[in-house]
Formats: sequence, structure tokens, C-alpha cells
Amino acid sequence: MIRNNYLLLFFALFSVALFAQEDQQESKYKKRVLETTEVDLLSSYYSQDGNNAAVSGGIGTEELTDATGTIVVAIPLNDDDILTIDAGVSAYTSASSSNINPFDGANPGNAFQASSGASQSDTWANLTGSYTHNSDDRNQIWSAKASVSSEYDYFSIGFGGSYTRLFNEKNTELSITGNVYLDTWTTIYPIELRPGAAYGDAGYNPQFTPFDDTSRNSYSLGFGFSQILSKNLQGSLALDLVQQNGLLSTPFQRVYFSDRQDYFFEDFQLADDVERLPDTRFKIALGGRLNYYINSVFVLRSYYRYYTDDWGITSHTASLELPVKLGDKFTIYPSYRFYNQTAADQFGAYETHLSTDAFYTSDYDLSKYNANQFGFGLNYTDIFTKFHIFQFGLKSIDLKYYNYKRNTGLSSNIITAGFKFVQD
Amino acid sequence: MIKKLSMLFILACSFTSCVAVKEYEKVNINDPDMALADKAADRNVSTFHSYREAAAGANGGKTGGGCGCN
Repeated sequence: MIRNNYLLLFFALFSVALFAQEDQQESKYKKRVLETTEVDLLSSYYSQDGNNAAVSGGIGTEELTDATGTIVVAIPLNDDDILTIDAGVSAYTSASSSNINPFDGANPGNAFQASSGASQSDTWANLTGSYTHNSDDRNQIWSAKASVSSEYDYFSIGFGGSYTRLFNEKNTELSITGNVYLDTWTTIYPIELRPGAAYGDAGYNPQFTPFDDTSRNSYSLGFGFSQILSKNLQGSLALDLVQQNGLLSTPFQRVYFSDRQDYFFEDFQLADDVERLPDTRFKIALGGRLNYYINSVFVLRSYYRYYTDDWGITSHTASLELPVKLGDKFTIYPSYRFYNQTAADQFGAYETHLSTDAFYTSDYDLSKYNANQFGFGLNYTDIFTKFHIFQFGLKSIDLKYYNYKRNTGLSSNIITAGFKFVQD
Repeated sequence: MIKKLSMLFILACSFTSCVAVKEYEKVNINDPDMALADKAADRNVSTFHSYREAAAGANGGKTGGGCGCN
């Protein structure tokens, strides 16, 4: 009896020791999700031009430049957890926004010329923090994030979270994502619609009432599915459902009615009203990617998206990118992207809306158009991170250029640069 | 058209998922250019698309909110 008890005790201790050893081996061989701190420095310069400014009711200059700088720092807190801080600043100058007040006194107001008013430039700033936790077997990933962003007339706070599950020897991945943005406008109206404004002659009597609600809330739910299809082929599907409520109009975008008399001050046509859009919008986007590793030189990256919403817009986006590896360190990225959309039900060109319409806008971003974008990029990667700044080694540099043209006349160019550093 | 493509993709997934690619066979799949997402350097390009285009979402970028766009 005593012997049996000793045997039982021995097996119990042996089992515990064995499990403990297995645990130690697991923790010993558990690969860190992120080995060291990584820093991404991203910057871009964007410029555009066109003649359908929404601020001046569908006519006028759309000239705009924007310079953006962003730093993203990913810090491994332990084997399983990563904290990411993402901070960005964007400074822009906009000829059309400057015409919120076209009467700067320097030159006669004109929709096709920039004004030197306060609204000619603004700065957008954003800070996002996210926390990611991975399970021991790396088959489950949880993440949570919070963000705040601000510009002169817009403030936003956001929250979000996601859960990802990997199956089938990590060949299949399912994910669900939720985000909430609670935004607030500081309503800025065209100068002639503000209280006490005295432009035009005595007959000028715009059909304008200020907006009551200045909040804009966005709720999104996303589903993702990705699958490794072979040693050289993988694809993914994503579905996003978005509900927006609140002030979805932009308060300083003018509208001119065809059934009302036109009034001018200097050379600038005074607003009949600002755009009026529904206070709800439901959007559905379904996208798919398919990437094929052709050989050690070429990779084919493809993307397609179908989009529809309850404002009457339907859109197709398709893009192809063909990374070409030039040795171990350099890759070039020629790319092409096609985009089209139907017009929103509320869209009408300059002087086509009626004052009796319930909703109206002359924002050409909501018009029917198609757009072509050509791009070229260069990547330099040094896996040995020979170049150092303090204790961070430069891992890669990405430079890209894109030219974008709409068949409505708007054209733009963007140059982007990305530098990735890893801590030694 | 979209329905057919989606069905084809799902069908392809269900066939191939029976034969899982092993970790040691994922050298090409793990190539950075095979990632099923935009590169970090393209983030600002997606942002300008979300300002200038009505469609957004299903690309890992913003779906609306957080800026005066969309």
C-alpha cells in the first residue's frame, strides 16, 4: 500500500515536472512577435489642380498642396504584446478653401483665383495608440486602439478593436474589426452667409439656415478572410459595413440654384445656400486581393473593390502592381489603378439645382467620373542594417510617385517616402 | 459578375485549404511583396483617395470618420 502511494507520488511529480519542462521549452522556443523596436518615418507631398471647386459651387480653382509627416513606433512589450504609437501632422494650402472668404482686399474676389484669407491653409494632426496581444500559439490576435485628430474646423476621437483567428497551420485567417469615430465640426460658412455680412445689393436674400447638428459619428464593422492557396499564391477578401450619422455636409461648400437670380460681389458669385446632404449614410465595400509570386524576380499584386452606398453611388476600383526585384537590395514597383463611380443622387453641376430640392451638392468628389493612376516606386532593403542613426539601423527605404487623372479635369501628383529603422 | 468571382474564390479556397502549405514551404509567401496589405509608404496615397473619391473601405485604410472627408 505504502509502495503504491510512493509510486503514485512519483508519477504525479514526474508528470508535473514533465509539464513544467514542456512549458519551459514552449516559452524558451516561443518566437517573439516583434524582435525589437521598429520606427517608420513616412512623408509625402501632394499637389492637385482642377476647375470644379466645391467651395464655389462646382466652378473655380481646386489648386491644393499638402505635406505630411508621420512617425510610427512599434515597441515589443514582451514576447506577445506590441504597443504602437502613430503620430502625424499634415499641412495644406488650398485655393478653393481660401475662397470661403474670397474678399481679401488685395484682388477682386474670383472663384478661379486664390484668396489670401485665413482659410487658405490649415494643419491636421493625429495621434493613434494601439495595443496588440498574440496568443502563445500565435493563432489568435487581439488588438485595441484609440485615436484623436484635429484641424481648425474638425475634431475627432476614435476607438476600435479587432480579433483575428488563424487556422489550418496558419494557412487561413479570419478577422473581425470594429471602429467608432465621434467627430465634431466647427461650422465655418461662406463669408457672405455669416451674420452681419453685407455683400451684394439689397435684393440678395440667400436661402440659408445654419446647421443645428455639428456632430458626425461613424460606426464601422469589418470582416476579413485570407487564404494561402499554394506555395506561390495567396488571396484575401474584406467586407466593410459603415453607418454614418450627423452632419455629413461640408458647411462651407456653396450651391447655386438655377431658379434664383445670381448676385455677385466683385467678380465672385454669392452663395444661394451651402450643400445639403442627408444626415445618414450607409456604405458597403467588398474588396479582394490576389498576390502571385511568379519567380524570384517578379511578383504580381492585384486588388479589386466593389462599393455601394445609399446615396446612390456605385464604384469599382481595380489595381495591379508588378514588383520587380533587381538583386538582393533593390525592387522597383510599376503600378496602375483604375477607379470609377456613379454620381450621388444629390449631385448637380453648377447652377443645375432647384431651390425646392431637398438635398443638393456641387462637390465633384460626388459626381460621376473615372480616374486613372499610374505609379512608379523604388525600394532599397538592407537586411544587415549597416547604416545607423544612434542605436537604430536603417532597414529599408521606399520612394514612390503617382500621377492621378480624372476625366472631369482634376489631376494630381503625389510623392511619398518611407524609412524603416530597427533597434539593434 | 462579382457574385461569380466571389464564388470562384471561395471555391478555390475550399479546394486548396485541404492541402495546407507547411511553414518551411512559405518562403515565397513570406516575401514582403506578397503581403495582403498596402505598403506603409502608400498610406498617404490611400488617404488622398479617401478625400477625393466617394468609395472607401475594404482596403485596410479608413472607412470614414476621423477627418473631414467621406
